Amino acid sequence: MQGAASEVLCGHCNRENPLVMEQYAQLCGFLALGLVLGAIPLIVPLFISPRYEGEETRQTYECGVDTFGTSWMRFNIAYYVFALIFVAFEVDVLYLFPVALVFQEFPWRGLIEIALFLAILSLAIVYAWRKGVFKWSV
Amino acid sequence: MSNLPTAPETLADYVSGNLWLFFAIATAAIMGYLTLNALFLIWLERKISAHIQRRLGPMEVGWHGVLQTVADMLKLLSKQLVTPRAIDKPLYHLAPVVVFAPVIASVAMFPFAEDLVILDIELSLAYVFVFGGIGIIGIFMAGWGSNNKYALLGAMRSVAQNISYEIPLILSALSVVLLVSGLEPVIINDNDQLRPASGISLIDIAIVQDAKGWWFVLVQPVAALIYFIAAVAETNRAPFDIPEAESELVAGFHTEYSGMRFAMFFFAEYTNMIIVSMVATVLFFGGWSGPLLPGPVWFFGKTYLLIGGMMWFRWTFPRLRFDQLMSFCWTVLIPLSIVNLLVTALVLELL
Repeated sequence: MQGAASEVLCGHCNRENPLVMEQYAQLCGFLALGLVLGAIPLIVPLFISPRYEGEETRQTYECGVDTFGTSWMRFNIAYYVFALIFVAFEVDVLYLFPVALVFQEFPWRGLIEIALFLAILSLAIVYAWRKGVFKWSV
Repeated sequence: MSNLPTAPETLADYVSGNLWLFFAIATAAIMGYLTLNALFLIWLERKISAHIQRRLGPMEVGWHGVLQTVADMLKLLSKQLVTPRAIDKPLYHLAPVVVFAPVIASVAMFPFAEDLVILDIELSLAYVFVFGGIGIIGIFMAGWGSNNKYALLGAMRSVAQNISYEIPLILSALSVVLLVSGLEPVIINDNDQLRPASGISLIDIAIVQDAKGWWFVLVQPVAALIYFIAAVAETNRAPFDIPEAESELVAGFHTEYSGMRFAMFFFAEYTNMIIVSMVATVLFFGGWSGPLLPGPVWFFGKTYLLIGGMMWFRWTFPRLRFDQLMSFCWTVLIPLSIVNLLVTALVLELL
């Protein structure tokens, strides 16, 4: 508290103490707890719910008619194109987070780099737009 | 030094490192809150929709039907879990759990008040988006594993919509991150160590707005609007509820789920509503900060006001067609949020 507190540390490097790792471990703990707790409401009904089984109980639902074939079949390619642009975007947006965090430390350079980066990224949208992906006519 | 904002005491500090106690209290609190929240929100949604349509909604069970959803839950608990024959077993059975699992971890990272924090994690903003992504995987597992045509169509649409709207969501959050690091830095007293506020920590973002005395929605109205629209789409709610458009797809990706399995998806949907609203509260509306009233009142007041807005939204606008929905995201929201981000960066440089 005396003296040591007068110095302002870097915002992102002073968190490397063991306590921080502990907190990430606790986050993983919450995820694991979520998995366990998520299973409970699925197990409880097994003991208290009825178990009727008629001829058509376990048929795949198809609005009352008999099920026709499987559902694991081909579907519109446009979904794939969306997934592709999404991956490009999402990964690139992740790179923008570190840039945004140290934005203050590189005046102008940060802005120019973000602009260049986003401009190149936007070409993906422009290309898909011209190809008619958004009009659903791939 | 005494007038610097301080980093909050977390729950782990209060229980002085006793891990069992920590997990027990945190899990009980979060699960209790989320269950009550889901029961309340479903009732609220039914009442709001009823009154918007000049009906009364549930009236029989309890005062104005408040206990209706409790009765519904007990009914669902005792319903048979019908499992179709043609499913992909591991995917089908795991899907509700995968949708549910990240929920506790997400909620644990929020600052409900300046001294009411469960986990203080620097990357909490990024982690909230990551956990949101896990839910999308769960939805796709459900749709594909069911081997049902409606479920598959619903899941395809849902995944396409969710991943698309995640980009404007993150880009608009990014302009807040940029704002925190580009403005005059706010120094935080963290256990007697001074450090500047980090733009990617939910707690720090709230502290910054509290210290500056104004909310980021004032300087980022466009980002706030984009965030709100994208968040409604992220939660698969009307007018963006094409994944489970009842008139076309029965119930979308959870067509083949009954009883408690269905309830888990429902629970996750309402929990996601509260999570995206909490993120909006922290990013744009100052988190717990506000005059006179204590922090939690402000935090939850803002959150439920946003949720009320989402419900109003749902019963006001007609459902979009799927191609309109996708092109709205890619040709309007994403370019707009990129421009907004660049303008924010430019203004911050000129300041």
